[in-house]
Amino acid sequence: MEVIMPTERLVRHALRDGHDHEGQDYERAAARLGIPPGRAYMIATGRPADGSTPGEPLGSRAQSLVNPREVNPTSRDDVHEWLRRMAHSDASMRQGRDSTGDGAK
Amino acid sequence: MRLPKVPTKLPWPVWRQAAGSDRLGRGAAAQTHRSGSLQPRTAAADRVVKSVCPYCAVGCGQNVYVKDEKVVHIEGDPDSPVSRGRLCPKGAATLQLTTSPSRQRHVLYRRPYGTEWERLDLDTAMEMVAERVIKTRRETWEWDENGKRTARTMGIASLGGATLDNEENYLIKKLFTGLGIIQIENQARVCHSSTVIGLGTSFGRGGATTFMQDLQHADCIIIEGSNFAEAHPVGFQWVTEAKAHGATVIHVDPRFTRTSALADLHVPIRAGSDIAFLGGLINYVLTNDAYFREYVVAYTNAATLISEDFQDTEDLDGLFSGFDPDKKHYDNSTWQYEGAQVEAATGERDQDYEQRTGGGATVKHAARGEAHGSGGANVPTAAPRDETLQHPRCVLQILKRHYARYTPEMVERVCGISPRLFERVARTLVENSGPERTSNFVYAVGWTQHSDGSQFIRAASVLQLLLGNIGRPGGGIQALRGHASIQGSSDIPTLFNLLPGYIPMPHAHEHETLDDFVQADAADTGFWANMRAYTVSLLKAYWGASATADNDFRFGYLPRITGSHSTYDTVLEQLNGRGKGYFLFGENPAVGSANARMQRLGMAKLDWLVVRDFHLIESATWWKDGPELETGELATTDIGTEVFFFPAASHTEKSGSFTNTNRMLQWHHEAVAPVDDCRSDLWFAYHLGRLIRAKLAASTEAMDAPIRDLTWDYPTEGGHAEPVAEAVLAEINGWDGDGNPLSAYTELKDDGSTVCGCWIYCGVYTGGVNQAARRKPGDQQDWIASEWAWSWPANRRLLYNRASARPDGTPWSERKKLVWWDPAEKKWTGFDVPDFEPTKPPDYRPPVGARGTEAISGVDPFIMQADGKGWLFAPAGILDGPLPTHYEPQDSPVDNPVYGKQRNPGRLTRPHPENRYHPSGKEPGAAVYPYVVTTYRLTEHFTAGGMSRTVPYLAELQPELFCEVSPQLAAERGLAHGDWATIITARNAIEARVLVTARIPSLTVDGRVVHQIGIPFHFGPNGLARGDAANELASISLDPNSHIQEVKAYSADIQPGRRPRGPQLRRLVGEYQNRAGITADTGMEA
Repeated sequence: MEVIMPTERLVRHALRDGHDHEGQDYERAAARLGIPPGRAYMIATGRPADGSTPGEPLGSRAQSLVNPREVNPTSRDDVHEWLRRMAHSDASMRQGRDSTGDGAK
Repeated sequence: MRLPKVPTKLPWPVWRQAAGSDRLGRGAAAQTHRSGSLQPRTAAADRVVKSVCPYCAVGCGQNVYVKDEKVVHIEGDPDSPVSRGRLCPKGAATLQLTTSPSRQRHVLYRRPYGTEWERLDLDTAMEMVAERVIKTRRETWEWDENGKRTARTMGIASLGGATLDNEENYLIKKLFTGLGIIQIENQARVCHSSTVIGLGTSFGRGGATTFMQDLQHADCIIIEGSNFAEAHPVGFQWVTEAKAHGATVIHVDPRFTRTSALADLHVPIRAGSDIAFLGGLINYVLTNDAYFREYVVAYTNAATLISEDFQDTEDLDGLFSGFDPDKKHYDNSTWQYEGAQVEAATGERDQDYEQRTGGGATVKHAARGEAHGSGGANVPTAAPRDETLQHPRCVLQILKRHYARYTPEMVERVCGISPRLFERVARTLVENSGPERTSNFVYAVGWTQHSDGSQFIRAASVLQLLLGNIGRPGGGIQALRGHASIQGSSDIPTLFNLLPGYIPMPHAHEHETLDDFVQADAADTGFWANMRAYTVSLLKAYWGASATADNDFRFGYLPRITGSHSTYDTVLEQLNGRGKGYFLFGENPAVGSANARMQRLGMAKLDWLVVRDFHLIESATWWKDGPELETGELATTDIGTEVFFFPAASHTEKSGSFTNTNRMLQWHHEAVAPVDDCRSDLWFAYHLGRLIRAKLAASTEAMDAPIRDLTWDYPTEGGHAEPVAEAVLAEINGWDGDGNPLSAYTELKDDGSTVCGCWIYCGVYTGGVNQAARRKPGDQQDWIASEWAWSWPANRRLLYNRASARPDGTPWSERKKLVWWDPAEKKWTGFDVPDFEPTKPPDYRPPVGARGTEAISGVDPFIMQADGKGWLFAPAGILDGPLPTHYEPQDSPVDNPVYGKQRNPGRLTRPHPENRYHPSGKEPGAAVYPYVVTTYRLTEHFTAGGMSRTVPYLAELQPELFCEVSPQLAAERGLAHGDWATIITARNAIEARVLVTARIPSLTVDGRVVHQIGIPFHFGPNGLARGDAANELASISLDPNSHIQEVKAYSADIQPGRRPRGPQLRRLVGEYQNRAGITADTGMEA
């Protein structure tokens, strides 16, 4: 059985140049090592990936390296289309608006 | 680069450590083949879905890790500015909650008189329920009651959990309202309905005035009626932040808990006596002239003169003027501002509405109960004021007289708190209030669940207004709600007396038009004056193209209420045979509601019952294994109730929004599809409605028109045809005639040109973007974090924040600045969204006769109040008195030393043979129940246990029911630590393990020692962690404003040993009743 051992030396090897604060090389290195990029950064540098110093609360963006597969959609075209369809199917909405000018009261 | 390999045969670890490069043994040297091959679940997941914890209302962010379409891990989301990555034991157990193999995955059916569950396929079960609804509705339809149009069914009721999504609650309310069902209730009634009254009448909105992160700015935090650290552990981090910044933390509570341990001062108090304590603090502030004078004069109604007909409890020994002892009801006409028109009260308003209001056209309704969740009562803005605060009838002087008797000595007599300790609290609070400093009050159900619970919250509101602590950083009143969306289930209410956005449900009248309704319920001034636009837009959301100006926008389709139809009245309806069908959505009243036995007896009278939950909770299985089978009161083969159990989807299996305790809507996404028969409540409501509408499509019956005309055309997705939750959110938000999402409730029109399902949520879908799903990390924003999710109203986080500036618009102090007037830009600006019209200058004064928002001046921060002021004195909006007053609980071993009135004269009682009350104080027989019981939540459990007693991690941490007693009580009754005890009331008796601890001290009250018994209320006979339900002991005695039950203080006896089994249990309860001389009249005096 072959097991990858992500020691500091190993991560630095994988990074080639050892330091990269943009994170892209860490992602590649981490993928090769089979570990999250944030951990690769931590192993290589001894510091969390968000730049905070040890002892401080964990910075949230450390997770951007750990969780590159976040799912959080905030908008749906099908809902927008449904809204338009609902409004257009109700002529009385436009009649109400037209009968009172701007509709304000 | 070629990566080095680990040899297949590893040498001895110590040798590897000594000989290799890993000398400290932290890496390679300590690794085995097995550990080296492991991948963390977080790393191996296919995706990470953003979510929200489904337990309490702190609203902790969660990351849900999905691998191969299964949830493999759930952890705290460090992006969340509220929780900062933390989860409490319950939150940390959500993986087990959602993925446990013990979850029910199939529909179960119990036929009438059947002895076992049977399997039923989902489609058949849905068809059967649809048919039951139609049949029961037909058989129980009621067009009128006593000649007044009701257009409803009293045969069907529902009780929904407050962990449902807003979108689910919206569809349930919409469907059931369309069906004419009015008995629609949820956990909010049972937990925090009195919060809505207390805060709403004081400030204009019924939600917490502040938000969790702002606690860090407090200079003093008083936690009372809450065990914050254990019940809302992650939120408590903001208390510790404040403490780290130098704040003083005080915990006032009958028990010494982990909250006390982290506080600077613990103040033991007798359960149920908090108004006396808060009244003492108010008296201290007033007698020492320690109130924030400039704030009080400008921002409260302290200077307003009250009618000369008003009489205080000082004049009438515990009664206010206007009390009718026969009806146990106040006429509040003498409480009005000087010169105000006589106003009626709402709780009973249907009874004499026509007589009082002349058809609703001439007189406004004053008290709208929970309708004050977002809009204060109507009062005149031009009432005379004395800004010197010297006039004997100005509110401040009335306040001084009312609270003069709440001396430190009286506080000691009532609460058991020494004058020295009281003085320390009072001094600390005063020293930490003012222009440079602010103090915060935090409470939970320790305040709300009393027969005068609304007044507990009112008392804190009065105090905080006097100290100038509302609307300012670090100040405010933090209502800790205990369910993921219990705020949301009030805002979009599954409540009998409300429509979405706190629009009141109409009462029954002979003839009432939309205009009559609006005229009777809207205010003339403030933002509530636009109630017609809010109502018309809601009617358009319900009935779409069918709702036109010609037919009053289908106002007549709304079923009418005729009094109280709260969940406790539903039980009585079931017992008297009028209630036939019942829906339970994630709610377990057989454990969680007061007088739990009555709940089960009521369900045994039903024709049919639908239970939707994760597990077979007690409310689903009482016919098979309930306590009444053992006592012989019920027999399975005699019970005709047909029971349907539908397995529910978890929060990771559906999309939707929760509204947390600080009015913040947070979206959680579906991570995986639910399996087998598990479905969301959104799915259930939508498809039930679809089936019913299909079956009634050809009907020409007038009663079916509201359900046939209901807009029910929601898009669906996925293999289960799940309604698109975001579409429901879009309807809640509203749209215009072109289908553009609205961005603010100020855009709503009353001419039918806008649709909006809940006006206070208008803006949550601004620009077609789900604002509730916004997740800009907290550490990339300022402390307000306004781009994380969305708060109502208008994304304001700290309510009434106009009050953070002086009347001239400049900050009170640099240290406490939040929102201020920018004279150069001619607008309000600051860190938070101003809770004020953005360009209304501080020197604006309304013209004579101004209406609506025009009548709110530039110095009125409470814009939802008709007069723009914070209410020290409530001339309207509350049924049992304009000022908080101490009364004893319904069942109390103690006499009321403050007044001649023992109990709240306006409380609601529900006399019934199964709901007897105790004698109190010096009444004969009171000594039979000599001790005070209080109930509470544990960190590891949740409400009635359906989401915690079934989770192995949590059940192992808190495995069984116990009761806490002091060493003195243990000695008095011979109770041994670890042994059993039986606790008895006139309702029932339960057994619990005894925990003898000095953490629940006995107190000296009015010269006698009072012992208290603490009981967690989560337990029941089902699940992994079992025990008797504490709510077996409680009576149904209710706060008149909110109809919340009193379970936080009542009298009882305790004896060593286990409770009797079988019929002997009821005999024990009966023997106690006989010894105490209890009759139907006991405890029923006005």
